[in-house]
Amino acid sequence: MRKFFPVDSLARDSRFNQITMKQSQADPRSSLIAQEEKRPKTNRLQPSRPDASDAARSLMHGIFVGEIQALEGAGRTCHDFETGTEAPFALKLDMARQAWDEARHVEISVKLSEWMGTEIGQYAENTVLFEAACSTDPVLRLAGVNRALEGLAIDVFTTMKEFGDIAGDPFLEFCEDWMLADEVTHVKMGSDWLRRITENDPERRKKALEFQSVVDKIFSFGGTRSDSQESPIGLARRFRELAGFSDDEVEDIADVSLRALEERKAFARQAQAEAVEQFSAS
Amino acid sequence: MADPYKPRAPFAPWDRRQLPGLFDVEETARRVGNYKWAEMKLFEALGGWVATVPELDVKMRLGTHCYHHAWHAELWHKRLPELREMNPDRLTQPANDAMVEFVAALTEPEAPELTIEKLVGVYRVYIPHFISAYTFHMNNTSEITDAPTIRTLKLALQDEFEDWRDGEMMLQSLIETPEEVDRAAAHQAKLEKLILAAGGIAGPGSIGGN
Repeated sequence: MRKFFPVDSLARDSRFNQITMKQSQADPRSSLIAQEEKRPKTNRLQPSRPDASDAARSLMHGIFVGEIQALEGAGRTCHDFETGTEAPFALKLDMARQAWDEARHVEISVKLSEWMGTEIGQYAENTVLFEAACSTDPVLRLAGVNRALEGLAIDVFTTMKEFGDIAGDPFLEFCEDWMLADEVTHVKMGSDWLRRITENDPERRKKALEFQSVVDKIFSFGGTRSDSQESPIGLARRFRELAGFSDDEVEDIADVSLRALEERKAFARQAQAEAVEQFSAS
Repeated sequence: MADPYKPRAPFAPWDRRQLPGLFDVEETARRVGNYKWAEMKLFEALGGWVATVPELDVKMRLGTHCYHHAWHAELWHKRLPELREMNPDRLTQPANDAMVEFVAALTEPEAPELTIEKLVGVYRVYIPHFISAYTFHMNNTSEITDAPTIRTLKLALQDEFEDWRDGEMMLQSLIETPEEVDRAAAHQAKLEKLILAAGGIAGPGSIGGN
């Protein structure tokens, strides 16, 4: 088995349909723009939204495929690096523990999806999450996956937990709360290892934090997660603090997310305009 | 109430543990180092394979079992300094070169069509050898002086038995044709020959006899 596994080789059964981030963002059915034109008060995922059921099902399916990729990423970190020379033994033990946690999250999200009336493969799988787990430097992997991706998971699970609470679905709220506890642990794991490994290597730490920032922007899913009410998912500041993020780091992520929201809106407007132009020309 | 000052035997009548054991401190440390190395190779392989198997249930089981074996490696790592090996990495070694060759062959399959080979290697060859080596060690070491090793062996064996059962059930559900039976058997035979040459997880004498 080779070291470093390419994202386009991820093994899936016939139900799955994989797409790239570019394909996902070019989708002219962008809910952000559609909602913006109607001037709503909020895009937050709440039971009062007319499309709440479908949006929640879609998000749950996104969580499901994200957990699969997180499981695969943690597993690959156990395998891709030589113990001692490339990654400390204890780091690999943490990654094995994370693989077990992510496997449970896949189990939980499969059952929750079924509970919500979704079938596996009903929505496309965006493989951008695994891409962050393909770095050849374990520190960059931890920054990209544990701090950026798992940080996003904290925001998503907090939103879903609140959704379950408001919607009167204790089953959903219960499960999301358990997954949230694991994610805080994973982010803290990433924060701790980043500091420990780069303690005497400021250049490597800088590079890792820059990579995290890039991934954070990508994982902002074009503004799907931000402090703005236009974003369906909010920034879970309290849980991020528990996970080891400083106030400055949380503010940075808030800024990056807002910028991503504006860029996404501009991109979607352009994609829609091009689609209209192509339709008119035909 | 019974008189608390009445002399009692230090070993209760039902406690039949004995002092003698087959292994001294040095030999125990050597075996524990081999166990740690072998468990590490197993958890690394299981983690790496997660992304390569398309079967969703298998993918999740491999992730779960990956942690079990990482935890065993951690337990052995912690035991080594208690056996006078202050540099655990020094004894974290394969039993011999044949064991390295076995692990290389075990971890070779990667393609998504080779789930049967991956599972056969782990659940019909490697884990049964862990079970036999751990059982031999548990039944032959001193029940009193080496109680910490016995405790770890029991904890690890509990996982090994359950993981073996999971793996065997996954295999039985994946093998659907006589040709696949042959495939599984051929791969098992290939790996068995390699681990035979190694003498087992801890080399010759893994289960006594040498």
